[in-house]
Amino acid sequence: MWKFSVRRTLIMIPQLIVLSILIFVLAQLMPGDALSGQVGPDVDPKRLDEIREQMGWNDPWYEQYASWMGGVLQGDLGQSFRFKIPVTELIGQRIYNSFWLSVATLILTYLIAIPLGITSGRFNDTWRDQLITGYTYVGFATPLFIFALVMLWIFGFALGWFPTSGSVSPGLVPGTFEYFMSKLYHLLLPAISMALITTYSTIQYLRNEIVDTKQKDFILTARAKGASETRVYNRHILRNSLLPIAAFFGFEITGLIGGSIFIENIFGYPGMGQLLVESITLRDYTTLIATTLIFGVASILGALLSDITLSIVDPRIRIK
Amino acid sequence: MSYLEVKDLKVHFPIKGGIFGGTVDHIKAVDGVSISLEKGKTYGLVGESGSGKSTTGRAIIGLNKITSGKVIFDGVDITNIKRTKSEATKNIQMIFQDPYSSLNPKKRVVDIVSEPLRNFENLSRKEERKRVQELLELVGLSPESILKYPHEFSGGQRQRIGIARAIALKPKLIIADEPVSALDVSVQAQVLNFMKEIQKELDLTYLFISHDLGVIKHMCDDIGIMYKGRYVEEGTADDIFSNPQHIYTKRLVAAIPDIDPNKRDEKRKFREEVKTEYDQSYNDYFDAEGLAYKLQPVSDTHLVALPEKG
Amino acid sequence: MENKAVEVKSNQPIKSPSGFNIIWREIVRDKLALISLIFLVLIIAFVYGIALFLDQDEIVRVDLFSIYQPPGEGFILGTDYGGRDIFGQLIIGTRNSLSIAILVTLMTGVIGIAYGLISGYFGGHIDNIMMRILDFFLILPFTMIVIAFVAIVPKYTVVTFSLIMTAFLWMGIARLIRSKALQEKELDYIQASKTLGSSNFKIIFTQLLPNCSSLIIVTMTLNLAANIGLESGLSFLGFGFPESTPSLGTLLSYATNPQTLEYRWWIWVPASIMILLLMLSVNNVGQALKRATDARQRRG
Repeated sequence: MWKFSVRRTLIMIPQLIVLSILIFVLAQLMPGDALSGQVGPDVDPKRLDEIREQMGWNDPWYEQYASWMGGVLQGDLGQSFRFKIPVTELIGQRIYNSFWLSVATLILTYLIAIPLGITSGRFNDTWRDQLITGYTYVGFATPLFIFALVMLWIFGFALGWFPTSGSVSPGLVPGTFEYFMSKLYHLLLPAISMALITTYSTIQYLRNEIVDTKQKDFILTARAKGASETRVYNRHILRNSLLPIAAFFGFEITGLIGGSIFIENIFGYPGMGQLLVESITLRDYTTLIATTLIFGVASILGALLSDITLSIVDPRIRIK
Repeated sequence: MSYLEVKDLKVHFPIKGGIFGGTVDHIKAVDGVSISLEKGKTYGLVGESGSGKSTTGRAIIGLNKITSGKVIFDGVDITNIKRTKSEATKNIQMIFQDPYSSLNPKKRVVDIVSEPLRNFENLSRKEERKRVQELLELVGLSPESILKYPHEFSGGQRQRIGIARAIALKPKLIIADEPVSALDVSVQAQVLNFMKEIQKELDLTYLFISHDLGVIKHMCDDIGIMYKGRYVEEGTADDIFSNPQHIYTKRLVAAIPDIDPNKRDEKRKFREEVKTEYDQSYNDYFDAEGLAYKLQPVSDTHLVALPEKG
Repeated sequence: MENKAVEVKSNQPIKSPSGFNIIWREIVRDKLALISLIFLVLIIAFVYGIALFLDQDEIVRVDLFSIYQPPGEGFILGTDYGGRDIFGQLIIGTRNSLSIAILVTLMTGVIGIAYGLISGYFGGHIDNIMMRILDFFLILPFTMIVIAFVAIVPKYTVVTFSLIMTAFLWMGIARLIRSKALQEKELDYIQASKTLGSSNFKIIFTQLLPNCSSLIIVTMTLNLAANIGLESGLSFLGFGFPESTPSLGTLLSYATNPQTLEYRWWIWVPASIMILLLMLSVNNVGQALKRATDARQRRG
């Protein structure tokens, strides 16, 4: 087991390096440099060149890459072109918002997927199963952003049950109970919208797992020994089918990031996904680079986490 | 110098493992096998599954990489050469064990049989079609069936298609890797007799790989018996069947069924005797790792793996 | 060559049915898939047919006298904030969205198939390295990376857009084809081809590829459905088609304006329904194909 974990972790290192190079190249390709955002148009171009030389921006690419990486490792993501504050400051609150949105979505996804998946798998080919399978089918074919728009239209505007933008009502003091409830209230509709669509894969996986396990010999043996149906499910089938699901959450991170870009923009929720799109519209390239880097690293770490948990849960994975 | 000369052939497969996926150990699938085969003869390679007999055949034709040793065909060294455009490919062909997987299910018979022709001969479509029809006729199939797919044929017919493909380039040596073991017993004899016919007709040399001593007895002039990647005994068919020396060979020969019911008791007694001898003298015939010793000559043609004297 | 085939056929009446017959039978038997297929054919004929007579420049021209007209006379589906006809935009948008989805599906298909076949066929170190690269691409969040690239490409056109999409969408099919190739290459017909003197290149593309055909057809159909969604999603965010080229996604992007979302449903609801119907029906056909190619799941 530890052997696999070490190997898997070692694989991650080149992944991180490639990611950083990719993003560095992206940054180099972007028009303008950090100076263009900081100085006015009236500054003498000669002076600009001097500053560039001083800052090392005329050095060969690998030296620039090294100093950029050094900065990143120390938590220096540069200065925002647009807002003239360090990017880390800009990201701070938003990363926190996105994190809680993701957690809420994950919890809801599993809350929907587990009962539906179990029902569908246990009573496969009955009307209940067909209903649930129909739902996963439609969920698979419906783009998240259309569903989110419809949800916002119905529950946000037409019925007015949920707020239609922001992450907290203005005027509340952080730390109070009202503040917390307001936050929860604001992230509920986005999280439900995302969970309802993204949950289909987990339901399908769980259903297929259970239908498969049901016919295995050890289940037949358990039944033959006279174990009750509930016991067969709780002790034998679910243990085999639920653990892999739990381990998948790391992979979900990549999906959550993609989803949050849509969800946050549609619901006007101030998180990283919204920041990413904003930074492009405002041509705030340092922020764009920082967001991309954070998203990329999060995905790589998520995949690592899932691979290792899966290898603990399911020994077959280790033979790779 | 014989027609096909295999000298101390070794095929080792690496076992991967460890954190960096490096090579930890080797499986010695074939470990020092030598064969010499005369033109026009049939050489039988016998052994249980996993004995390395198929790997030997596949290494000779180039499907498995040879770790060490030499393969010399008609005086030319063909060890690990590139096969794509070589004479060796034209001259050495193979018949596969499973007639179901050895024919591409998505191809029509004409495309299957003409594949080697397209690689080596520049024929027009018309000539090609004519050649394929001739070949099908030669192997006893209706020339009209060239547009059918393999799944429309029986196992025996499919093996004939495989043979037609193998002889399309007029090869000199054919490696037959268990060519009948996937077929019904009733069809086996048909295919075997047919292989003997074309051997005479086309002056073919066979390397015949099988686990079935009955089949080997029917087909082969010389026989080599393999166990765990090594030879235990080699000799003419007469040497092996009338005068088996190694205890492993004796057991194999004793296990051949006999259809004469009067001899049933006699056979069973013989089998039991051999089994007792096998249990008692196992350590005399195999080394500490359970592998066979080096071959020692018993007569001009007969070699047996025995511990060196002294 | 065609003639000769016919000639031989005449003295050989039993030319065996090809795989396509089986697929066709399965689709006809599955009512939902059949309806979907008919719908798709009609929509494609309609959209591409009508688009021939519509002038894209005419449709995207701003007309300040007819801003935000609700559906009714003159404009079947009303107009947008620029007074542009929604119906015309919907037709041209569907055509543009479908075209790019098909283009991207084909391009990712070619790259993915070649990558998967090579990786699976050669195996060993080559496979190892190629899979590492693929894993890396797979981990990156698709929307994020495409947005980042779209943002920095200097001369942004429809062509660059489809290239960027292709660059980050070939992995799924590559992985499926690779595992199929890994299975197939162990079969004797591949070994036989080697002994017959065929080059690796020839074996991969004339022996291995035909045996992956059913998997390819199914995967590409399902990918097409997904790509329609991805394109409209990116256009919706403003990183797909430029506004001068209407697509289903650009129509939906008007809904990011709360006023439009709440009060002017005619602008974005038709496009949403179109996307849903397209994706569902392509998907239905794909699922029927999947059943047809998997004998255990066949219905009839």
